[in-house]
Amino acid sequence: MNWLQRHIRPEQIRELSLLLLIVIAILVFGSLIDGYYTFRTFNRIASSVAIITVVAVGQTLVVLTRNIDLSVGSIVGFTAYFVGTLIASYNSINPLLAVVIAILLGAGLGVVNGALVAWGKVPAVVVTLGTLAIYRGVLVDLSGAKTVTTDSLPQWLIDLPLLNVVPIGSLDIRALFALALIIVVLFHLGASYLSFARRFYAIGSNPEAAQLIGLPLKGVVFFAFVICGALSGLGGFMMLARFGNITVEAGRGLELNVVAAVVVGGVNIFGGSGTVTGAMLGAVLIGTLEQSLFRLGISEFWLNAVLGLLILLAVASDAVILQRLRALWARAELKLIADAPKKGSQP
Amino acid sequence: MTNAAATLKRWETLMFALLVVIIALNSLDSRYFLSIGNFINLFQLSIEKSIVVLTMTLVIIGGEIDLSVASVMGLAACVAAWTFQHGAPMPLAVLFALVAGVLAGLNNAFWIAYIGLPSLAVTLAGLIGYRGVARILLEDRAIGGFPDWFNRLGQQAMIGPLTASIVIFFALFVFFAIVLHGSALGRLIYAVGSNVQAARYSGVRVGIVKTDLFVGSAFVAAVAGVLYAARLGSVRGDMADGFELDVITAVLLGGVSIFGGKGNLVGVGLAILVILNLRNGMGLANITGNTQNYVIGGILILSVLAPNVWQDIRNKWKGRGT
Amino acid sequence: MTLDREYASVPGSDGLGNVPILEIRGVTKRFDATQALDGVALALYSGEIHALLGENGAGKSTLIKIITGVHQPDRGQILLAGRPVLIRSAAEAQRLGVAAIYQEPLLFPDLNVAENIFISHQDRGAIVGWRRMFQEAEAILAELGVALDVRSPARGLTLAAQQSVEIAKAISMNVRVLIMDEPTASLSAHEVRELFKLVRDLKRQGVAILFVSHRMEEVFDIADKITVFRDGRLISTRRRDESTPQSAIADMVGREIDMLKARPSTARTDPILSVVNLGRQGVFEGVTFDLRRGEVLGFAGLIGAGRTDVGLALFGIEPATSGTITLAGKPVAVRSPREGMNLGIAYVSEDRRQLGLILPMSIFANVTLPSLRRFLNRFGLIRTGLERKTAESFRTRLAIRTPSVDVAVANLSGGNQQKVMLSKWLNTHPSILILDEPTRGVDVGSKAEVHAIIGELAAEGIGIIVVSSDLPEVLALSDRVLVMREGRQMAILDRAEADQESVMTAAMGQRPADSTNGRAL
Repeated sequence: MNWLQRHIRPEQIRELSLLLLIVIAILVFGSLIDGYYTFRTFNRIASSVAIITVVAVGQTLVVLTRNIDLSVGSIVGFTAYFVGTLIASYNSINPLLAVVIAILLGAGLGVVNGALVAWGKVPAVVVTLGTLAIYRGVLVDLSGAKTVTTDSLPQWLIDLPLLNVVPIGSLDIRALFALALIIVVLFHLGASYLSFARRFYAIGSNPEAAQLIGLPLKGVVFFAFVICGALSGLGGFMMLARFGNITVEAGRGLELNVVAAVVVGGVNIFGGSGTVTGAMLGAVLIGTLEQSLFRLGISEFWLNAVLGLLILLAVASDAVILQRLRALWARAELKLIADAPKKGSQP
Repeated sequence: MTNAAATLKRWETLMFALLVVIIALNSLDSRYFLSIGNFINLFQLSIEKSIVVLTMTLVIIGGEIDLSVASVMGLAACVAAWTFQHGAPMPLAVLFALVAGVLAGLNNAFWIAYIGLPSLAVTLAGLIGYRGVARILLEDRAIGGFPDWFNRLGQQAMIGPLTASIVIFFALFVFFAIVLHGSALGRLIYAVGSNVQAARYSGVRVGIVKTDLFVGSAFVAAVAGVLYAARLGSVRGDMADGFELDVITAVLLGGVSIFGGKGNLVGVGLAILVILNLRNGMGLANITGNTQNYVIGGILILSVLAPNVWQDIRNKWKGRGT
Repeated sequence: MTLDREYASVPGSDGLGNVPILEIRGVTKRFDATQALDGVALALYSGEIHALLGENGAGKSTLIKIITGVHQPDRGQILLAGRPVLIRSAAEAQRLGVAAIYQEPLLFPDLNVAENIFISHQDRGAIVGWRRMFQEAEAILAELGVALDVRSPARGLTLAAQQSVEIAKAISMNVRVLIMDEPTASLSAHEVRELFKLVRDLKRQGVAILFVSHRMEEVFDIADKITVFRDGRLISTRRRDESTPQSAIADMVGREIDMLKARPSTARTDPILSVVNLGRQGVFEGVTFDLRRGEVLGFAGLIGAGRTDVGLALFGIEPATSGTITLAGKPVAVRSPREGMNLGIAYVSEDRRQLGLILPMSIFANVTLPSLRRFLNRFGLIRTGLERKTAESFRTRLAIRTPSVDVAVANLSGGNQQKVMLSKWLNTHPSILILDEPTRGVDVGSKAEVHAIIGELAAEGIGIIVVSSDLPEVLALSDRVLVMREGRQMAILDRAEADQESVMTAAMGQRPADSTNGRAL
């Protein structure tokens, strides 16, 4: 118990147990499904996880500050559609430019959210419930309900999801999944090493203390929504690449999966703790469940029911179990302090 | 009078004025507009949402929120349809639907009132989960073929020119107005929504109040779901999807504070009428249903933003005065 | 004995020509009805530990809030190293090298210890150098003699450990003036010794320290100078070796004779409440007393003594974990406010704005809230007519000044709000009434009225517990005084033996009429 307590934090236990859960799930499904342990399965899971992961990274930042963004699904659909239309009209457009446009578009939508929450002082749930409808509605209106079809898209875009970025033996890490991994790694490092990023945690952990030491609450919250929008925009581009056919309904309901991934991934709904890696693990677990249920022939709708339950368990366990774990750790530490020889204490 | 009462009088007056303006504009387009028949048709279109608005009002005044109401509506409708299809007589199917609603409400209440989790997270989980159960039952199919008397419930005039749904709405409106403004529970709801700690220190059993709120909300949502099924004549797994937006908008537009403790059903009633007539007016002006949706979204945000901005302006004025 | 006059009247000099690093001159601050500070002066010198003593409400925390930028003085000056400064925010105070450590640490529970220490440093660069941060944090903590895992989140730490982190925070900012507000209240003896080592270290490094504490033995252990405030005024500033615990206590409580007249006793012989060894884990323990019908039992003690906690335990909001409660001869367990109310116990909270009243609601709605059941007609609807009548009768009886009982209680003055709270609980027909700070923030007129009401209630046979930090009030009202200190019961003094000095002495843990070296009980 001692070694464990010395080297591993209670929060890390949360992520480790999530990893364990994923492994168990894979083992269980592997025994139920023939030909489960193939690269095809991996790719299936990876591609559906990729988009959710990228958006979940943005959502994580928002939730860290004690807010929520329910409009991400609409932002994804919006950007997917508009960038798709753009590329369809200008096939020769520079791919990188297209990606940048998607990100900027998403960021712009995030600006509206952020401004309303930070300066309008409207609760995040109200703002993003409204923009969920507004962005979706504007999309339908401006688009004339047309569809972006694959045949209008340039070849590079259609080939993108199949693009093999890092072949490891016979295992292909394809472009979209690789992109998701890069984003997670980048943001994880950023959240851990950028002083600016630490403020997100501080503000979510104790807003009053944060204000007292002069942290810019409004600016940080605003920025969280902008980043979330930007990443949702990127997710929109990824969705365009993956599906090719984009209707105005694209991304509807995505926000639920994203919030589920974030919550299951150990990000505290009260803010202040959680990592983007956890969010990714949450997305992986959910993606695994989704694909495996599909393979088992169980209707996809069971997933939603299970998802609801998972969220409840995740939030409850964070509230209750984590507290107990922390108390245990604290007691063990006291023991350590009491036992360890003191430096410089008088006899 | 109390501060809250004074503010609300202003808000209700504003709502009333808004209503008059909208009706006036609409009736310019068509003389038919002001007839009872038209009004009933109008009302019918959103009657189920309006019913759920009533309980959502109580929930938000109590300082909570219930995002799962639309999913419970869908769930109840699906339970009714599914059991009916499997041979149950329609009245029994309806009973099952209502029981499903109560169970969903008890589930919500358990995690919120007993375990103490935030209602946003719990009802978000419910929104996802209950919809999932509904779709497990019905998958991609649509079920119809309900007995005539059932369909008539939602579609035809039963009492005078009014359909059963409209009658139920008015009955519930009166009922909840009495509960909220006249009963002990109503008083406790305001207390808990204003200051839950102070309520606790005053001996109020907060857990029971919250349980009442969430079970009531889910039950009424189930009733609304059944009525919706009756009106449409058929049930799909994804019916009532996204209704929570309209419902919450109506409540907030009605002057209920998102933070709890403030608001009344008169304002909400007016807000329902405003939204109704607004939608109708937009429809008459050939604005699509889709556009109407995001106008509603804008109204939702404005109904919280506008008072905030107003308050800021007033504070700045006060500052200048000193 | 004239030395203290010199210090008090000649700021800016310690007789040796040094300029104080922080000086308060003529600072006055008023909050509505209360004069929190009235022309106080204080001089802090580098490398000196200056203790600040005073009862609850003497103005200590107000002064601290002013120095740390939370409030601004109405009048007076603050000088830093001889220059007048305006401290308008906590951040500004920090920049000026002023830091404060409170009894309750202001940490970020989810951030780790090292981060908490350095979070407010603006100059550490855009990239967090974790290794360096951990090393520096460990170094600072090592100086403290505290072995903490700098990687662990602050949430899991004990209060003492969190306190150390706060101190490490201050050290890391090269603090010039360190204010310590009751920092040792939750520390063990060993931890206090370690803390004092650090404090002496800081002193050697030239930090000026303002040390607020109620523990006489600590004050006389560590302080170089001792200042006493009373009722918002500076009473004395003396060097430690020219002062004794008794003289300090005398300064703290000594007042002109405007003592309240003692209430005639109406205590009967039969106990209505009997409490033996009552305790709540980690909060208070060993509370034993009887309360008789018609008796007023005063609970005296300093802030944090645990008096409110005993009240909360008796009422059922924070139930006791050990001991017995006997009500009218029968043993009872009070596990919720509802149970408390059913047993005839009522608790009037000390925090009337956050806990005692629902501010946006009307007077009559507040008055009937706990007893709503009695105001329903046979349909379960509220009889607002009866509610209003009841509220009206209380308005008359308690002289609540308001145009009508429909007014929101938020609009009432403090004294009237207090009366509404009282009405609310009297409406439950209690046999035991616990009043927590019943006249805090209340104007003089209302205060007298409240005292009269308490007298009448006692005469009717209600057993009353009055928790109060206002010594004259406690002494005037009480038949007996129970004194608590740091969660323990120190003494129960009869009316005859209770006076300000004896109560304060017990509250600070001193043996009455002790010798001068401040040994604790």
